[in-house]
Amino acid sequence: MTKLLQWLLGVGLLLGTWACLVWDLVPTQLTPQWKEVVWVAPMYLLMSFACYSLATIGYRVATFNDCEDAAKELQQEIEEARRDLAKKGLKFS
Amino acid sequence: MATGSDQAVGMGMVALSALIFTYYTIWTVVLPFVDDDHIVHQYFLPRPYAVIIPTVAGVVALSAIGSFFGYVMLQDKMKKKAK
Repeated sequence: MTKLLQWLLGVGLLLGTWACLVWDLVPTQLTPQWKEVVWVAPMYLLMSFACYSLATIGYRVATFNDCEDAAKELQQEIEEARRDLAKKGLKFS
Repeated sequence: MATGSDQAVGMGMVALSALIFTYYTIWTVVLPFVDDDHIVHQYFLPRPYAVIIPTVAGVVALSAIGSFFGYVMLQDKMKKKAK
């Protein structure tokens, strides 16, 4: 099963359940208040996802790191490679 | 390292999303269980707006992203042609 199919199946199941509840396709004993909550549920899920995304981006911006050790290591490796290649007769312009 | 302004902006985004989430949760999930004549209803728009506003915001945001993307692609094409 591809990822697309998985997602379509999940979304379809959720929307199906939602439609059943909203349009009374199955007998339920939901109070009118709960009906109101169910009615906005898909939008609520979407808003939750949006807020989660925004918070994640914000958190990553706030705790953005630069990796000085990794930079040093990379520079060293570049030097090593240069020396190695120069030994084998490669000319750097 | 993230500079001071980076941290301020990032934490501001986290706080904003927490604020929006809390407000929206109260609006959509808690408010139906509060009596219609209670004072808190003053601070929230009528219920249909809980769907209308996010939809409009989403459409506006997606079209802004789309037009920006199109604009950048178009400029890239023009530059390549000019060369």
